[in-house]
Amino acid sequence: MSAADELTPAVVTAARKPRWSPTFTIGLILVGIHVAIALLTLFWTPYDPTSTTGGRLEPPSFIHWAGTDRLGRDFFTQIMIGSRIALIVGAGAVAIGAAIGVTIGLLAAFATRFLDDALAATLDILIAFPTLLLAMLVVAASEGASLWSAILALGIAMSAIVARLTRILAKRVLQNDYITASRTSGTSWPGVVVRHVLPNIWPTLSVNFALQFGIAVIAESSLSYLGLGAPPPNASWGRLLQEAQGTVYTAPIGAIAPGIALVTLVIGINLLADGLRDIGDPTRRISR
Amino acid sequence: MIGATALLGKYSGRYGVRALAVTAAFAGFLSASSALQAAENYDVDASIKIGSLYEPQNLDNIAGAGQGINEAFNSNVYEGLFRLTDAGSVEKVLASDYKVSDDGLTYTFTLQPNVKFHSGDPLTAKDVKFSIERVVGPDSKSSRKKSLEPITSIETPDDNTVVVKLSSRSISLPYNLSYVWIVNDAAKDLTSGEDGTGPYKLEDWRRGSTLSLKRSDSYWGEKPTNGEVVFNYFTDATALNNALLTGAVDVITGVQSPDSLAQFKDNAEFTVSEGKSTTKELFAFNDRVEPFNDVKVRKAIARAIDKKKLLNSIWGEYGTLIGSFVPPTDPWYVDLNGVDPYDVDSAKALLAEAGHADGFTFTLDTPNYDPHPIVAQFIKSELAKVGITVNINVITANEWYTKIYKAHDFQATLQEHVNHRDIVFYGNPDFYWGYNNPKVVDLIKSAETSTTTDEQTAKLTEANRTIAEDAASSWLYLYPQIVISKANVSGYPVNGLNSQFFAYGIKKSAD
Repeated sequence: MSAADELTPAVVTAARKPRWSPTFTIGLILVGIHVAIALLTLFWTPYDPTSTTGGRLEPPSFIHWAGTDRLGRDFFTQIMIGSRIALIVGAGAVAIGAAIGVTIGLLAAFATRFLDDALAATLDILIAFPTLLLAMLVVAASEGASLWSAILALGIAMSAIVARLTRILAKRVLQNDYITASRTSGTSWPGVVVRHVLPNIWPTLSVNFALQFGIAVIAESSLSYLGLGAPPPNASWGRLLQEAQGTVYTAPIGAIAPGIALVTLVIGINLLADGLRDIGDPTRRISR
Repeated sequence: MIGATALLGKYSGRYGVRALAVTAAFAGFLSASSALQAAENYDVDASIKIGSLYEPQNLDNIAGAGQGINEAFNSNVYEGLFRLTDAGSVEKVLASDYKVSDDGLTYTFTLQPNVKFHSGDPLTAKDVKFSIERVVGPDSKSSRKKSLEPITSIETPDDNTVVVKLSSRSISLPYNLSYVWIVNDAAKDLTSGEDGTGPYKLEDWRRGSTLSLKRSDSYWGEKPTNGEVVFNYFTDATALNNALLTGAVDVITGVQSPDSLAQFKDNAEFTVSEGKSTTKELFAFNDRVEPFNDVKVRKAIARAIDKKKLLNSIWGEYGTLIGSFVPPTDPWYVDLNGVDPYDVDSAKALLAEAGHADGFTFTLDTPNYDPHPIVAQFIKSELAKVGITVNINVITANEWYTKIYKAHDFQATLQEHVNHRDIVFYGNPDFYWGYNNPKVVDLIKSAETSTTTDEQTAKLTEANRTIAEDAASSWLYLYPQIVISKANVSGYPVNGLNSQFFAYGIKKSAD
């Protein structure tokens, strides 16, 4: 008892007072810049994104910071709007993936043996299915490619991964004696989920969501690159890369700029996820 | 059938081109660099390596082999009774002479004497009959099948004479016969082998890589100026350019964007030639549906788009503006750029007259490959200035074929039309764009039954003018045909009409 008494306060204090994490801070700054730019584009961009007044493939200058594309549109404006699209896709896909994934995962965790096995097998198959291929199928099934079909596709692909994680985590929690105690004292199953399961699995899940956010951003770029994402003239980075492909020798900025934007956002999100894990997972912290 | 190959330009001949010997300016441009250096002391046994993106699916042009087979085999391995030259004229090849009856319904062709197939068999009238019947037969997937429909019978009174009877006059018969390969009627396998009369015979075909042609020593005509031609196939334009840069190939047959030219243009080791293609970038309306059934709306759209700026965006300094569907190499070309010039104010006025002062919204079905998505974005931004909202719907080439070409389920679309002499599409009210003007239908139909080419030209010129005045579609620009070669190589066709690439005149000097 006395050892536990000493340990518990230390853990609690640490959890309440997160250590300063350099990865978390750098991640927060990188993502913060993209969020700020995305919000800014709702009110202001350097140029009208559809204005074709810039001249063909102008190099970067003080007038056009990242030059212009073939139609003479300001490239920096396109990159800025790309931030907004990337964040919308990431957030949308995570929201859909989380909603479907957590629900199915919990269902599997509580289900009878047969249903659980069936769900687990289905999830394994879904996970083995390439995300991009699944996304292509969803896009093909919907009426033409749009930003929303891309989000939906990525969300569905993600939900299988989230569901499997949720199922394992929830099962581990449900094995604990205090769940039996809680049930015996009259708590309903929904009550158990809200009071015990979700709070316990949340730290791990949230880290996973952050990682999935980054994957979704990359996957959307891939889809747009293939022409299955947001239709033009939505300035998705993937589509900008695709359009720059033919002019990569004469105007390399067209490929470099969306590349940098994509990399900074995804690195930022991954650092943020790492930082979240450091802060949110007490076992990891103690082990240091 | 004409459509399947004609329209899916991605798969078929995108680089139909034509020789521009006609314009003085162009002639000057051509001769400037390449021709002179290499022409004098060339190597008669040289091996010419040609880089191309269009590997044929098989070796038979009536079996859906794609444009690559025309590029490799037309007039190289196989010859027709006639040939469509790089300049766009029709000349006699295996037909040494022909006569037309007064009613225009009987054509009598006399064959070149002493012509042998590569297998050693002599050319006879029966081979010609066999070859024409092969193209119009039920198994044929030839895009030219329909244009040979007037043929009712083919007779062979002797080995040197072929008599073709028609159900109606067809002034384009010699032209259409230029698409018909003359093959040996005893040939067994034409999809992976050949038996033609051309200056080269097939040496080797390594699928996915190369197709080699060797000079035929028994050729009846003038000997080629090289010993061997090897087509090297690539799936990626960048790899193709790199092959030329590193010397793996001597000449590349079609350049897809002006930006890859930068590596070659100011480099003395290479020659860049610009020819005129027959590939037209088309913004086609569904003329059956509101609001595009109103000529004023179509004219307003034509005037609202700054095509000069668009062409510059896509092709830089290359390419040509055409005010209609007819490129300068067709005999019925007239400059119609002035019919609906770029003029935003008059576009707005026309829209107001048509009852669309506040504009409208439509969906533009856009094929997902270059240059269509970027063209669609330009159109969207231009039409926004006159109050029209464009929703861009990106589709695949296959979807284009089923949804638009077959089902006519669209409002407007973009497509590149590659074929030579294809104004006839506007004479077909059931064609995908649904343009139906009885006057044009009649002009195009009666042009084919003309008694003289002058009459045919006059009628098609009139049809051309009428579709332009009706703004039946919006003709954005004509693609350039750009061929790049090493500086010691010359004598290749610059226009590559219908994706042909005659190799027999290519000369390569020892550097």
